[in-house]
Parts: sequence; C-alpha cells; structure tokens
Amino acid sequence: MEKVFESKLDPVTFEVLKNSFINLVDQMSEQILRTCYSFVIYNRDFSSALCDAEGNTVMQGTQDIAVHVGTLHLTAKAVIEDFQDDIHPGDVFLVNDPYRGGTHFNDVRVIRPVFYEGRLIAFMQSNGHWSDMGGSVPGSFDVGAKDIYGEGVRIPPVRVWSKGEYLADTVNLLVSNMRVPEERLGDLRAQAEATKVAEEELMRLVRKYGIDTVLTAFEESQDYVERLTRARLKELPNGTFETVDYLDMDPERGDGLIPINVKMTIDDDKILYDLDGTHSTISCFLNASYGASLSGLYAGTKTFFPDIPLNSGFYRVIEAHLPEDTVVNAKWPAPVAGFCSGAYEKIMNACFELWSYVMPERALACSFNLEYLLIGGWDRRSHYDNFFMWYDWMAGGHGGRVDRDGANTMSPVFGAGLSVQPCEGQERLTPVITSKHEIITDSGGPGEYRGGCGVEKGGLLTNISDTVMSVCCDRSRSVTWGIYGGLPSIPHGNWLNPGTEKEQFLGAFFSNVKVKEGDTFTRPSAGGGGLGDPLKRSPEAVLEDVIDEYVSIERAKKDYGVVIKEIDADIDHYEIDEQKTVETREYIRRNRKKWLQTDIAEVQRLYDEGIIDRLDVLRQYGAIMDDATNKVLKTSTEQFRESLLKRSVAHWDS
Amino acid sequence: MSKHRVAVDVGGTFTDVFVFNEETKETFVGKTSSTPSNPENGVIHSVEATNIRGEDISILSHGTTVGTNALIERKLPKTALITTKGFRDVPEIRRGTKLDLWDAYKDVAPPYIKRRDRFEIDERIDYAGHVLKPVDEREVRKLAKKLKKRGVESIAVCLINAYVNGKNESVVKQILQEELPNVYVSASSEILPEIFEHERMSTTIINTVLGPTVGNYIQLLENKVEDMGYDGDLLVLHSGGGVMTSETVPRYASRIASSGIAAGAIASKHIAELCGFKNAIGLDMGGTSADISLMYEGNLRITTDWYIEYGYPIGFPSIEIMTIGAGGGSLAWVDEGGSLRNGPQSAGAEPGPACYGAGGLGPTNTDANFILGRLNETLLDGKMKLDREAALKSLQPICEQFGYDEYEAAHAVLQVAHANMSDALRLISVRRGYDPRDFALVAFGGAGALHSAYLAKEMDIPHVIIPANPGVGGALGCLLVDFRHDITQTFVANIKDVDVKEVEEKYINMEREAIALLEKEGIAHEHMHLIRHLEMRYGGQWRSLAITVDRPLRSLDDAIEKFHEEHKRAYAFSDPHKEVEIYGLRIEAIGTVPKPQFPKADRHGSVEKALKNYREVYFEEAGGFTRTPIYNRSDLPVDAEIRGPAIVEQLDATVVIPPEFIATVDEYKNMILSLADRRDTDGKSI
Repeated sequence: MEKVFESKLDPVTFEVLKNSFINLVDQMSEQILRTCYSFVIYNRDFSSALCDAEGNTVMQGTQDIAVHVGTLHLTAKAVIEDFQDDIHPGDVFLVNDPYRGGTHFNDVRVIRPVFYEGRLIAFMQSNGHWSDMGGSVPGSFDVGAKDIYGEGVRIPPVRVWSKGEYLADTVNLLVSNMRVPEERLGDLRAQAEATKVAEEELMRLVRKYGIDTVLTAFEESQDYVERLTRARLKELPNGTFETVDYLDMDPERGDGLIPINVKMTIDDDKILYDLDGTHSTISCFLNASYGASLSGLYAGTKTFFPDIPLNSGFYRVIEAHLPEDTVVNAKWPAPVAGFCSGAYEKIMNACFELWSYVMPERALACSFNLEYLLIGGWDRRSHYDNFFMWYDWMAGGHGGRVDRDGANTMSPVFGAGLSVQPCEGQERLTPVITSKHEIITDSGGPGEYRGGCGVEKGGLLTNISDTVMSVCCDRSRSVTWGIYGGLPSIPHGNWLNPGTEKEQFLGAFFSNVKVKEGDTFTRPSAGGGGLGDPLKRSPEAVLEDVIDEYVSIERAKKDYGVVIKEIDADIDHYEIDEQKTVETREYIRRNRKKWLQTDIAEVQRLYDEGIIDRLDVLRQYGAIMDDATNKVLKTSTEQFRESLLKRSVAHWDS
Repeated sequence: MSKHRVAVDVGGTFTDVFVFNEETKETFVGKTSSTPSNPENGVIHSVEATNIRGEDISILSHGTTVGTNALIERKLPKTALITTKGFRDVPEIRRGTKLDLWDAYKDVAPPYIKRRDRFEIDERIDYAGHVLKPVDEREVRKLAKKLKKRGVESIAVCLINAYVNGKNESVVKQILQEELPNVYVSASSEILPEIFEHERMSTTIINTVLGPTVGNYIQLLENKVEDMGYDGDLLVLHSGGGVMTSETVPRYASRIASSGIAAGAIASKHIAELCGFKNAIGLDMGGTSADISLMYEGNLRITTDWYIEYGYPIGFPSIEIMTIGAGGGSLAWVDEGGSLRNGPQSAGAEPGPACYGAGGLGPTNTDANFILGRLNETLLDGKMKLDREAALKSLQPICEQFGYDEYEAAHAVLQVAHANMSDALRLISVRRGYDPRDFALVAFGGAGALHSAYLAKEMDIPHVIIPANPGVGGALGCLLVDFRHDITQTFVANIKDVDVKEVEEKYINMEREAIALLEKEGIAHEHMHLIRHLEMRYGGQWRSLAITVDRPLRSLDDAIEKFHEEHKRAYAFSDPHKEVEIYGLRIEAIGTVPKPQFPKADRHGSVEKALKNYREVYFEEAGGFTRTPIYNRSDLPVDAEIRGPAIVEQLDATVVIPPEFIATVDEYKNMILSLADRRDTDGKSI
C-alpha cells in the first residue's frame, strides 16, 4: 500500500491517542445529555469538540448534529482573536455570534481553555441548543424579525468564569434577557462541567504520554484525516458539477423561488465549492451566515465519506467561495435564526445531488426539510398556571437511493441523531393533545426507488390563553425533489383548523399567529424525493406499497402506471392488472413531457374544475401552488419546471 | 443418589453446562454443541452429557438465545398491533434516529410488525388518566373478526396514555379474549406502565412477538425434561439478572429477548464477592466480542435503555452490558490513512484466525498472541495445532507499513487491542463517575485472561480475578441466580408537593403485585426481598437517576440527600439549592434461592509439580523474548504464588502473567493477579 501518512509517533501511540481524543469528546457529549435542562439539547441538538491552542478542531464528537459540523473551530478562534494573551487557567467563555462562526443564537458554545504548566494547549468546547434566547417570540424563531435584534441575545466571545471565579453579574445580564432564565443557568452549568470533565481526561493523557507526544498527536490527528480524505479524492475523476436548489420565497417579494447555486469542482486532491450566483440576502430568517453555510458544505460532503473522522484536517480539503450579502453569507444584522430550515438544508441537499453524480453507488435524492413548530403561551389547565412552550420537530422521508427506497420517517438530514419527542411527555407538560402521528400515504416521491414516507402530526389546543404559534420550515414551494428521473414528494406547510369552516393555510414559515382554546392544527412533513423513473419501478414493489398503504391504489396508477385491483382488503388480497399496467405506463410515457409544458392558466383551469388534483398539479404538471389561495404561481412554476427538466425528464428514456 | 443443581447456558455455537452436587459440593462443567434449529434438543443433550438422571436434579436453570435469534431472524408469529386512532405508525416513526448518523446507506432494521398488521381503534385517554373517549365495543369485535380472518396468532395492545389508566386496554383485551380465545394478547399497561408511547409500545410488541415463540420453546423443553424425570420448575434467566419460572415467561417474554447475556455479569459478581470485592468490572471476552459489566457496592449496574436491534427499545430494567467488537478473532488492519487499527471486524469462527489454518487471512489477536509465544502451539489438550507460517504471513502487511519485524508487529497489534478495550472499560467506569482503582477486574471467556493483566495495568485496576472455569461463566451465572421481578411505574411530581404517604401507598400496591408473582413461583415469604428505587432528577432536567429508599418510607429528605450525592458522584457536580423532582418508582423483587456453597479446594500439590515446561514468550517490558515458565492450571495448589513472567494453561483458556505481576491461587481455585509493587503495599483484598 502506498504510504498516505506516516506518524512521527510510533503507530500504536498515535492510534491510541487518536481514539482517546474521540473518547474524551464523546464523554463530554454523554455528560451533557444526562445533565442538560434544554429539552432541545436532551434530544441531541448539541456538539462537542477538542480544539488545539490555535483553535483548530482536533476531534469532533461522533454523535454530533450535522448542523454544527465544522463551525466549532471558528468560535474557538473568535475567543483567541478577542482575548489573545488575556486567556487564563480557570476561564470559561461563551459565544453564540453567527457572524463569528456561530450558527444561530440558540447554539451557545461554552469554551474552556486548557493549560499545562502555564502554557495554553487546548480548548474544550461544548455547544448546545438553548431552548430560548429571548427576542420577540418564544423559542427565538421570529420569521417577522427583519434583523437579528428580534432574534434574541447576541453573545460575542464573553468571559463567564475568570480564573475559576464565576462572573454572576455577566451571566445574569445574559440570561435575564431569555425566557425561563433558571433553565439556561442549568444548561450553562451542565456544559461548563462537561468541558471540565474533558479537561481532566486530557490532563490524564498528558501525564501518561507527555505533553510533546499529545501535542504532536493533536497535529497528526488533523494531518491524518486530511491525507486520508485527499487519498480518497485522488481516486475520483476530476470534474465540475453544478446545480441549483431554492428557498421558497422572500416573503416581502412574493412569488419567486430564491436560488442557491452550488458548483463543485474536484481538483485532484481537493474540493472547491463556488456558490456564486446565489440570491442576495432576503427579508426573513432563512438566511445563513458564513460559518453555517460552510457547515452545510462540510456535512453534505461528509455524507459521502461516512467513515472519515471529523476534524480540521477534513475542513482543510474543502475550499469554499461564499459570496457576501447573499442568503449563504448574510452580513450583520440580517436575520439568520431559521438558517437550518433555510439555506443550510438547501446547501446540504445540493451537495447530495452533486455527489450522487460522482458516486452513483451512494446516490441520494432530496430529503424532507427540517420543520419545527413552536407554541408558546399560558397553560390554564387545572393545577397549572404557567408559561408553556410546545416545541416540536418532525420526522420525515429521506431521498430514494440507487438500489433501495429512501428511509421512511427519519430525523432531518440537518441532524440525523435528533430525536422526535413522545406525545405522552408533551401532553403532560403542555395543554396540547396530539391527535395523530402517522405516515402520509403517497408522501414518498415516486421513483424506481421511492422516496421515504413523510409523517403527519396533528394537535388540539385545550386550556390556553395568550398563546401564539410559529413555524420554521421551508419547501412548501421548492418541493423536495427527485433525481435520476425521480419525482417530487409533497409540499410542506401547516394548517390551522383543517377540515372546518375556519380552515387556514399558514404556510411553511410564519410566526406569532394567535391561537385559542379549541383550535386544531396539522402539519405534514414531506417524504423524500424519488430516484429513477417511476415507470420502471417493479409492479410487485408498488403492490407491496399499496398493501401497506404507503401508496394508494389511485396514485399507484397515476405515479407508477401500475393498475391494482382490490380483491379482499381484509386479508391483503390485491392483484396487479398486467395488461392495464402496460397500457397505462405507455399512456403516461407518451404524455408526461407534454403535461410539463402545459400553460399555467390551463393547469389552473384543470385544477379548478376538479379534473386534476393537488398532487397531479405538482407531479404531472410540475406546477407550484400557493395553498392559501389555491393559485398556481407563475414564476415559481417556471423555476421548478426548469429543475425538473434537469433532474427528472433528462433521465427518462421517453 | 444425591441431588444436583444443573445450569445450562445456550450460546450460538456451544452450550455450556455447570453442575453442582448438593451433597458432595463437587462441581462439574461441560460443553456440547448448540442446535439452533431445535434449540430444546441442545439443552437436553447437554444435560444428558452430564449423566445425571432427571430425578436427581433439584434445580434446572437455563439461559437461552431463542428470543434473540427469533427477533434478529424475524422468525415471528403473525402478530397484529392495536393502538389508538392516529398512532399506528409509532413503531415505525420511533424517535426518528439512527445508529450510524452519517451513512445514508445504513438503515434501522424494519419494524417487527408491518404497517399492514397495525390497526387502530377510536378511543382516547388524556395525560391525567381521564377517559376522553371510551372503547366502542362493536368496533373492537369487528376488528377481532378481521384479525381472525387474517389468521393472527398474537396481538399487542398499546393505547396512548395507558400508563396512567389501563382501563381502555383491559376492555380491549377482554373482548379479544372472548372473540379470539386461542390468541396470545399482551397489553402495555399490564407489563410496563411507563410513560413514552414508543418505548412502551416497542416493549409490548417485542413481548407479543416473542410470547408464543418462547412459550412454545419452553413448553417443548418442559415436556422433554419431564420425560427425563425432572419434576421441578424449569427456571429461565432474564436480562434483569434473575430467573422466572417457565409459567411466567410468556407474560414477560421480552425480558428473555436477551437471556444469556446477563449470566456472565452475574458470574463475575459472584466470583468477585467470593474473593472479597464489592466493586468489580466483568470482562467476558470470546472469539468475536467482549461483554463488559460493572458491579458497584455489590449491585450490578442496571439500564432501561437497551435493545436487540437499534430503534426498538425494551423498557424492562436490564443488567447493563457493553458489548464491543474485540475478541480473539478481531482483525488488525492498516487503514487508507496509514493508521493501525484493530477490529471491530472479526475472522469469526469460520475461517477464524490465520493460525487456525482454515484460510483465515488475519492477523487476529489470536495470531498475535501465538506469535508472541503466549498461546501454545497446540490447544484444547493437543486436539488443535496452530499454523505458525500462516500467522507470520498474516502480519506482513503491518511489518511492511511500519518497518517492523513480525514480533514488533504482533506486539503493536495487541497494544492497539488493549487500548480499544481500555476505552470501553473507561466508558463504563470513569465516564460514569467510578474510579477504576476501587475495582477488581474479573476475566471470563477464552480470551479474557490473555489480556486482562494489561488492561488492569492500563486502567490502574489493582487486581485481576481469573475464575477457575473462565470458559463457562454464563453457565455459572445461570446456576447462581435468584428469582427477580421489576415492577415499575411512572410518577412525576415536584418532591415538595408530594405526600410521602401517597408514595408509600403506591409502593405498597406495587409490592403486592411483586409478592403475587413470587408466590406463584413458590417462593416462601422469608425468602422475598423487596427493594424500593426512586427515580429522581433536578426540576427541569431530562434524565433521572435511581436511588434506593427505605421500606417503609417515612420521609423523603434522605432520598433528596442521596440524590444530590449520587448526582455528584455520577456527573462531578450537584446543586443542593435546586428543586428535585420524582420521576418514577420501581420495586426490585427478589426471591432468593440458597446459593451453592462451593467446596474449598485442598492444599495438596506444589507449584513445581504444576510446571510443565519453559517457552520463549515476548514481553516488551522484559526486553523481548524471555524464557518463561508454563504451568498447568489444574495442578496449581491453593495458595500457590507465581511471579511473572509466567503462562498458566488450562483446557479452554490461557492466563498471561506479565513480568510485573504476581498471581496467587485462592481456596476456590480462582487466580488473583496483582501488580507486584501494589500488592506489597495494600495486600490482596479490599
């Protein structure tokens, strides 16, 4: 084997220390999980890192949430930059500033410098999503905020312990601006203690192996990852790949998807991402700051190298051009709280698409969008009289794959470890009753390999007062797409009082909508996009899907051209009508390109007259509708159809 | 003829048996092949091989992999789920997480019950236990008819919020039993009334799919042991570390989803206590993996966070076992980045390590141990000869990569293996707030004693115990267990609002249930031990910690005090000013079985007579290959003392005593290894 890497240490010591670094970082994570107060952290929205004295990440946690990947070294460097020589043993710093390498305000990093014999040798960093950072809405996600001032407390690098002494006044200033401040103090304590546990573990390694050996291993852990990644890249052909994904809209401008252009070049042993051509900053929180977008590129890439450990060595292989004042590099004071549902997820999925062409054996169509709903108000049940927050995110479908369907009902790609909450716990804590939590039939994007199924979660508000609802999502218009000929899944978007006279479509991002006792709501999460031409899916696979009601008999015919007869549903007895299936598939093949060129006014007429339904509009006619008005959107449809031509139509034989 | 206690532990490849003669106090161990296609036959063969008649057996206990195999291979009866309208996909949605966060091509295993077999009824109970919508009897009868038509053999009933009020579930169960009298029905509120729908539903489903499977197996086995003349209860080990009678098994089938794995932990607890240690880490290392457990202050660590397949938790308390891919057959390799790795891939039983000469390419830990002279050229009393050329060849890629000779390479392979195992030991000890210096390491398994001294040194664990029969730890564990049940209940309240009488009352009700179970198993009241556990946390925290509380409970102040202490021990900090919350109650109900008093060995023989020969064995700390005495373990007398370097061989295990260690043999023939300098200062026992 060609020697990719040779350690200055003996191979055993190097391997042992590399594993010890992983171990100590994971130890930090485990402790946080067991002692935190924010349920968002408890459900695994956190990350941890060991950084070297320059702030470079030596090792990131193996269970870290994707959305923090590759941002922790930036915040460590921000502390170094601001405090320089004024960093001492026993100090602890906080940072959450999205313009200094942070992601959004809720992701609060606790950073502890580690010294050996008076010399700064490392930083231990624990990053967790605090449930509330103040600002105009509970949970700190305000789609109406036109700048960061509505999003809560911005924390540039700030010292909160000085030489071991807790700076209560500083911390008090911060948490006094947040809802439920005592919980935030609990999180701070849990995170600070976790970094201390990690510090002690590092000191053990220093005592055992000596300071020089440990510092060499810091450097070499990064070199090792860098060279491993470069060796993998060299095996791949050079080339440039390009795609565009979209945010739904700028709410101030209306109809029109917001493009994020991603161009990737593999150049020998490095990767260049160029996001030139991306839309300028928009008027709501779906923008991402520099660090967050970088993280999207790292995480999207890492998905295709699942076994390579994460540290600055990996990040050194990737160069990125993120044009300023765009939705992927928002500048102060543009709002960014919803970046995770916005630009971040688009960058990640665009990377999936580009890498699917480089490594077809790991291909992955688009997955559903991160969605979370926040209801905040007063709980007036008997024996309760307190402010409550019902803060919920959805599972959904992941994209179809090259030889198998997408995974059903998974956590979002922004954090595959994020765990959805049990409704029994939520019902105890809040006056919200879950009415359903179930798979949506026909939600998986049609394809030779179907996208995974999405989920619908509905609820009823019981004894409440002064309560508002907010949602942070996207892709009600830039619908989760298929690749290699696959089709889109279903739009995201939330409904208030569905099926009643008061039914109202609230969209996929909104905030501060007043709700009252007796109101109901429901929200679908999208399925994954399909992979491959749905007309090539095996009829037997469609039949199995029909039996499990992943797919309806109606859409089996419309999406897959497979005609299925129900014989006796009680005992799962259904039959494929072979003859009609051949005919239907032929019919679809002859017409489907034409459907996608149908004039928008004509699509509107067909829909208004009940000749085609909502999914036909999307999947057969490639048209985007506003569910609030039931109107087909001209610009969005044109943009969406252009993507469909490249991702789907171009891969159909006919 | 005297009476015998017989314990049988069925593994994937071998079935181990451990016999204790109640009169002569003699013990006997045996190994036979397992018979996965008819697992009951393997048990019978192993008992027959002992030549003990059924009527001479006083207690027959056993650990089985029937449940594990049925789950993994999805060889399950046709099972249906009935749940609340809107919730049939809970077992598929789970918590949405996956084990491998980054690999989009590694999926969570599919649910045990397909969507087509999951049904809903229109009923609802709220968080406080109020029936918002009662069960519509006609709807359930109609569904029962449909299930009959579908040929369903087993039904799980799990309704939302049934943990606070099981009324709707009992109504459903009642109707099903009327309509489908021969179908197995398991209701969540009866087996595990705990909050969180996915975890409770998953436990109920596993109970339901295993109920008929393990029920049939136990029935078959019971018939066969009766034919042999055994008329006592057939005792089955469950993951909580106790036994239950075959009659109770169908009700708590999910508790034997992993029956045998707890046995090794129980054995290590017993051996450690026999040697005078209250704190011990158990290491059971075989061919492909190592199981690690921890006992603190005489109690094995318990977890409620475990599963056979990721995503499908079993909520019953279980002995915490950490399994890592480190065994004799674990492969060492050089990764693309040029780093030396060890495991988790294993050469398995086929083809096995390179030195087995069956085509394995290696190098494995076994190959490295062989090349360094630690393993003899022939194993199993000469039945197996190892292939030196193959082992040397297997190390070549590592030699080439790092410029080593074969011996340096073999040494490096083992060092990496030791580091990986130490990391796992650190996870279960240091990470949980335990100081390894207060522990003994008990090494079981064919490979445990080859590595244990080095692990102890790395971890600062002062003493290593090698049991007399390290290869049959599981069977020993099965022999030693008590009856055990865990009754749990969710109960969430701020402790300052709680009336201690209310808690006491709840405990008493739970104890009543526990006592009934033990009575049914024929346990006399004087042998019943009920231990109360209280789950607590700081108000606002998400995880709880369990502490034991008094019986009867007169005040909660001690509990609060204990909670702060435990929080400090586990997480290095506590917060006495914060409000504390109760989260759940648990009764640990134990029906003790008089333990066999193992015979003390007599002191005849001498170390000199046990010396077989000398061999060159590689010890880096002694400067490389060293002329090393090789002893025969069975000939070593009580109180024998051996200074390392030395190797002690027995039929199915090899003990490595490195240069800085001293080994002694105790009166139960356990070997205790201690660092020579440590031993001089603090003596043998703690």
